Amino acid sequence: MSVVEQQHLIDLVDLTKVYDGETEALSRMNLYIRKKEFVTLLGPSGCGKTTTLRLIAGFEFPTAGQVYFEGKEISSLPPYRRHVNTVFQKYALFPHMNVFENIAFGLRLKKVDESTINARVAEMLEMVNLRGFGRRKVDTLSGGQQQRVAIARALANRPEVLLLDEPLGALDLKLRKEMQIELKAMQQQLGITFVYVTHDQEEALTMSDTIVVMKEGLVQQIGSPICIYNEPKNAFVADFIGESNILPGTMLHDELVSFEGHDFICVDRGFGENQPVDVVIRPEDVQLCAPNDGMLRGTVASIVFKGVHYEMMIQTGGFAFMVHSTLAKAPGEEVGLRIVPFDIHIMKREAAL
Amino acid sequence: MKTKPFAAPYAVWMLLFTIVPIALVAAYSFTTADGALTLRNMANFLDPIYITVLLRSLGIALLCTLICLLVGYPAAYVLAQKDFDKKGVLVLLFVIPMWMNFLLRTYAWLTLLESNGLITSTVNRVIEFFGGQGNVRLLYNYGAVLMGMVYNYLPFMVLPLYTSLSRLDRRVVEAAEDLGANRSQVFLRVVFPLSVPGIFSGVTMVFMPAITTFVISRLLGGAQFKLFGDLIEQQFLFTGNWNFGSAMSLIMMVLLLLSMSIMNRYGDQEGGGIF
Repeated sequence: MSVVEQQHLIDLVDLTKVYDGETEALSRMNLYIRKKEFVTLLGPSGCGKTTTLRLIAGFEFPTAGQVYFEGKEISSLPPYRRHVNTVFQKYALFPHMNVFENIAFGLRLKKVDESTINARVAEMLEMVNLRGFGRRKVDTLSGGQQQRVAIARALANRPEVLLLDEPLGALDLKLRKEMQIELKAMQQQLGITFVYVTHDQEEALTMSDTIVVMKEGLVQQIGSPICIYNEPKNAFVADFIGESNILPGTMLHDELVSFEGHDFICVDRGFGENQPVDVVIRPEDVQLCAPNDGMLRGTVASIVFKGVHYEMMIQTGGFAFMVHSTLAKAPGEEVGLRIVPFDIHIMKREAAL
Repeated sequence: MKTKPFAAPYAVWMLLFTIVPIALVAAYSFTTADGALTLRNMANFLDPIYITVLLRSLGIALLCTLICLLVGYPAAYVLAQKDFDKKGVLVLLFVIPMWMNFLLRTYAWLTLLESNGLITSTVNRVIEFFGGQGNVRLLYNYGAVLMGMVYNYLPFMVLPLYTSLSRLDRRVVEAAEDLGANRSQVFLRVVFPLSVPGIFSGVTMVFMPAITTFVISRLLGGAQFKLFGDLIEQQFLFTGNWNFGSAMSLIMMVLLLLSMSIMNRYGDQEGGGIF
């Protein structure tokens, strides 16, 4: 067997991209993407997620490292010779063509006969719920409709991989949620691979099979949404995926950590004795109780109603905990905080967060 | 706040120096030297001599516009590429000649192209070197006038094309490549169609001065080579027949308006036209 595993559809090997000889946008990235997988590249702007997507699409060529597609290297192939299609952030529809011609663009290049084109475009319009929009000019469509055309256009070529660069970024929240579900359904129905770029962690958690968390050109963690949410590898991932309380602590010995002047039983092992660590606690994992029943004691500093829950900031001796709870406490009220061992996540201390 | 009054100076200017003169031209066109109404001036124009000159003007203007388009489009295309690092130099090369009065530039061509001018004598030397007769004349012919026109009007083609091509969304080009278009397909199916408004305004901006050209033709074409602009100039300055001169001007204006309205019908779909 070669360097590249056979069942992998796309393999990125030590992929590196340096712009203008100095800015390292992506550094030695290794990733494999399987057939029919929904992979999300997640990170803040400038983390290299879009660069990775553009290297797979062929709009950029790597400074070092390789891109493999079905085991064959495609690093230097131009975009038009790759079996991937892209949905662009701002749609990039052809303004001089109507909806039909936009969707038919790739098929016309392949010299597909007219009746097949008509059938395929109709099928695509049906799929994205735009039946009857074929003759419309693209600039008469709303943002959401343009996005649907962009998706239909990219899928009309029946690519094996669809690359999506923050495709829902310009849509309002309600539409975005609808489209998330539709896109996921489409992906499962068509059985093709999606590589999805976003900075929205909720979007990533909702849709993905695999999430790749990136920061400053470096992969931080690769895993399933559940794994990434529950077992963040470092403070950055913990902070980026969902909201977290991250506070300094000391690992006294296996399964015992001290922070905020209290010793907590936890489930982590192997950090050594008396090691400084970062302790990560999700806001929904802090339970409120009577002041004297808690492990920690604090005062409610503020409370905001968030719909499903209240978000409170609770000041203990040296740390302000963010707490999500369905119980409302008045500002100034004293409360006790309880945290069960399973909800305490210990991480190696980062030099700087 | 009312802003209309701010346009007053310009409105007065337009009235005095555009509307009144056009009205005067129209009035002169349909009157005799004594001021009596007549259609004589229009009828005079139907003489084959004048029609020939008009057709010659039309022909050379079209040819000049075509050459400007063929030379200017690739130049504008290269200029509009984001990663083209000599852009500043090239833009400067196009703009520098425009810092100089066009008459001076045309006189420079006169010097270069005359019998013992730099270009003509070099060409003749080369011909003699290969055993031919070095008596080629480059001045006072159709080619010299066309050359002078293309030289003067080329920037008017390049600049609107450059504007329209550099405004083109890079993502749209990438989308085309992504969908399977190679470089020439990207150009033919996306870049070129999207630059059509730029082509229309470039063609307009070259064709209009080209069809009314008169000094270039006199300097580089000699006394025998007359364009329509020369005829009008002649009526006003030498023959002194202002009425016939006005009639010809009016005919020219109507022709221009007609061609512009045709151009606009096709050109204003995407914006970027000059009207």
